[in-house]
Amino acid sequence: MSEGHGGHGKQGFISTYLFSFDHKMIGKQYLTLAMMMALVGGLLAMLVRLQLGWPGTQWPLLEKLFPVGMASGVMTPEFYIMLFTMHGTIMVFFVLSLAPVSGFGNFLIPLQIGARDMAFPFLNMLSFWTVVPGAIIILISFLVEGGASASGWTANPPLSAIRSAIPGSGTGQTLWIVGMMFFVASFTMGGLNFVVTIFSLRTKGMSMMRLPLTTWAQFTVGVLGLLSFPALAAAVILLLFDRGLGTSFYLPKGIFIGDTLFPHEGGAPLLWQHLFWFLGHPEVYIIMLPAMGFTSDIIATFSRRPIFGYRAMVYAIISIGVLSFLVWGHHMFVSGMSPFLGSAFVLTTLAIAIPSAVKTFNWLATLWRARIRFTTPMLFALGIVSLFVTGGLTGVFLGTNATDIQLHDTYFVVAHFHFIMAGAGLFGALAAVYYWFPKMYGRFMSEGLGKVHFWLTFLAYYGTFFPMHYLGVAGMMRRIYDPNTYDYLKPLQPVNTFITVAAFILGAAQLVFVFNYFWSMYKGRECTEENPWQSNGLEWSAPVHPGHGNWEGEIPAVHRWPYDYNHPDEKADFTPQWKAPAKVSAGG
Amino acid sequence: MTDETAAKPYVNHGMAMAISIWAIILVSVLFFFKYKVPELASDRSSLDTLYYVILGITGVAFVLVQFILGLYIWKFRHREGAQGSHWHDSHKLEMTWTLATAAILIPIVFSGLVLWNRVQAAPPENALVVEAVGAQFQWDFRYPGSDGRFGEFRPELYSLENPLGIDGQDAAAADDFSLTNQLVLPVNRPIYVRLRSKDVQHAFFLPNFRVKQDLVPGMSTGVTFTPTKVGEYEIACAELCGLGHYRMRAFLSVRSEADFETWWSEQTAAAAASP
Repeated sequence: MSEGHGGHGKQGFISTYLFSFDHKMIGKQYLTLAMMMALVGGLLAMLVRLQLGWPGTQWPLLEKLFPVGMASGVMTPEFYIMLFTMHGTIMVFFVLSLAPVSGFGNFLIPLQIGARDMAFPFLNMLSFWTVVPGAIIILISFLVEGGASASGWTANPPLSAIRSAIPGSGTGQTLWIVGMMFFVASFTMGGLNFVVTIFSLRTKGMSMMRLPLTTWAQFTVGVLGLLSFPALAAAVILLLFDRGLGTSFYLPKGIFIGDTLFPHEGGAPLLWQHLFWFLGHPEVYIIMLPAMGFTSDIIATFSRRPIFGYRAMVYAIISIGVLSFLVWGHHMFVSGMSPFLGSAFVLTTLAIAIPSAVKTFNWLATLWRARIRFTTPMLFALGIVSLFVTGGLTGVFLGTNATDIQLHDTYFVVAHFHFIMAGAGLFGALAAVYYWFPKMYGRFMSEGLGKVHFWLTFLAYYGTFFPMHYLGVAGMMRRIYDPNTYDYLKPLQPVNTFITVAAFILGAAQLVFVFNYFWSMYKGRECTEENPWQSNGLEWSAPVHPGHGNWEGEIPAVHRWPYDYNHPDEKADFTPQWKAPAKVSAGG
Repeated sequence: MTDETAAKPYVNHGMAMAISIWAIILVSVLFFFKYKVPELASDRSSLDTLYYVILGITGVAFVLVQFILGLYIWKFRHREGAQGSHWHDSHKLEMTWTLATAAILIPIVFSGLVLWNRVQAAPPENALVVEAVGAQFQWDFRYPGSDGRFGEFRPELYSLENPLGIDGQDAAAADDFSLTNQLVLPVNRPIYVRLRSKDVQHAFFLPNFRVKQDLVPGMSTGVTFTPTKVGEYEIACAELCGLGHYRMRAFLSVRSEADFETWWSEQTAAAAASP
């Protein structure tokens, strides 16, 4: 496995930058794609907030940009619904799954386990070029008649199945389904690659219990992806049949829309919800687990402390992975699902809360008696801990079915998942970019701009999403175009306006990041050594500009776990994984 | 050798982070006293009690954990000469916080299950049964009339004149009557709302009553509750149902027993008079 095929010789532009087999380049390609999609997804969120901040206001300038959706400058309800539908779809799948999992998973796994590349480099390249058409199809769907999908990111039928139910359920919904199929195909290829690579390509000495927590997370995510995404594939294919072939998987007898009685018979809309959430809940952890891994690695490095309770952390990752398949029904307490079944899902949800809490306490214990260096990646990692605590605690209200009755489908839920899932995913990806950027491009990102980015993002994140709890408690539903339709929601308008202002700051702050990323790629301070953060992970033994094959000579062997900071026997406050023990004979 | 800049501690940012986290605790907790659940008008006060209990417990946990996070960030910022620790394992601590989390969550979750079973229980014999029919984008409420029985409906009969698809041949249908976007209920009497949808999913949400239940085409769902306060309330749709979702709003009028009786006899008389 370790015969040195480090020198692949000079390669052309196409094989280096487009159809590369190098896991590092593929990781960067995924990241770039995710960043582009994030700009679109973020812009959609800004428009959603614009409407909620000042409902029904006329914006003549926007009419020029969106002549249909903002006809005469006022947003239409169908445009609004399309905006949040596509915001959710793009962010969940094409940003928060692509950046931390496909992007950093591909970039880091071989470097962290000591492999030349992923197990199946061709499959890896193929998986990237499978998701690209998916992303393009999703983007094109905005341009078709009726616009992009408008049935929510959960695409519940009959709304998503019957063309006349909402304008977006025309061609836009079909393209949504096709885009998802490309995504699923790509993601399962990736998952397979992750699992096989981590199982079989670890370097000498890299036992499973010496893997960094990032790799443990990616391993679990690989398994989750392989087992859960096929459920989505099945779900969308059946939806396509219902839409085009007249089948009735999700459509029961008696659907009457626009003076038409539809001929379907025998289907069950709840079947879709079960299939969708069977993917949907593991998907939440697909987004979160890598972020938890990054957080662990980054906190250990910059606190100069071993991660506390490594074994407990590994068991927590595995149990979260297993339990994530058993909790999907907690999205469906009031869906019409049997109330008895609802109670069963409460118990599994309780079970998954415990390992999540354990992780938080272990992070805190890692900070205990540390010597923290507050670099930008560390600030983002600490931010994740704070967001995770907030989002985890609000989960108690929603996982308890009795209190979920009032809060379900309100802004409380929107607040909850933006803290726990979206927040972890976004902050995780950002922390990871700042941290591993020197290994990706041989340069540092600007620390000054990074700090500006962090402070604006962290404070604006709380400013945007925390007040949404209040909206939810006061009864504001999700997905409503104009809350002022309801008398009891009118007093909440100032909160909505405040949130919108905070969201605009949050959005603008991300432009600082995008600028920093591309500017630093070319002009950033050069990194002169392979291990600039004085970290212990094996990835930091690779050269400043690792070639295809990662290490020039032999792949280093691993002698210890990745968190040996402040070891009492060592003079330096870190002992890298590849450092041989002093007393070992030359044979090693 | 070592890149000095990369290993810089930036302690000012650490102190700012600690202060920000503490400020966030303060502000976010304060506003929970300002924004409350809508005024309660049903017998589901136990759900509110549980909500406030959870708010209290998670509130304390929130303050405590965030405060400690800030404290550690402040206290363990990089200091020259200070010695970091290598300590990284304690079975006792892991067990403590695993069991402590479980010990706090289990009573919450189980009291939730008890309340859940209570609100999901079958409606009592004396409950007034009303049918709510959701359709893009309006609510129709049908009452069974003086015989207490609903006439059958058949989707083939849906039309402008017969929006609920009621089968006129069914004797039970003769005295049924219905209202659009207006529900009238008596105070202090158990109500069972039978829910059905004509087209897509909707959710029957009564913000003041702690009632929310999805309407699923092809299925019959329902909720049981007892209004406890006379007054006028709003009914909302809480499940995305199309471009008019935001305006799928109806009104609920809870009336005293006497007022409801008067209204009821007017309605039944009118239903009997119509062919």
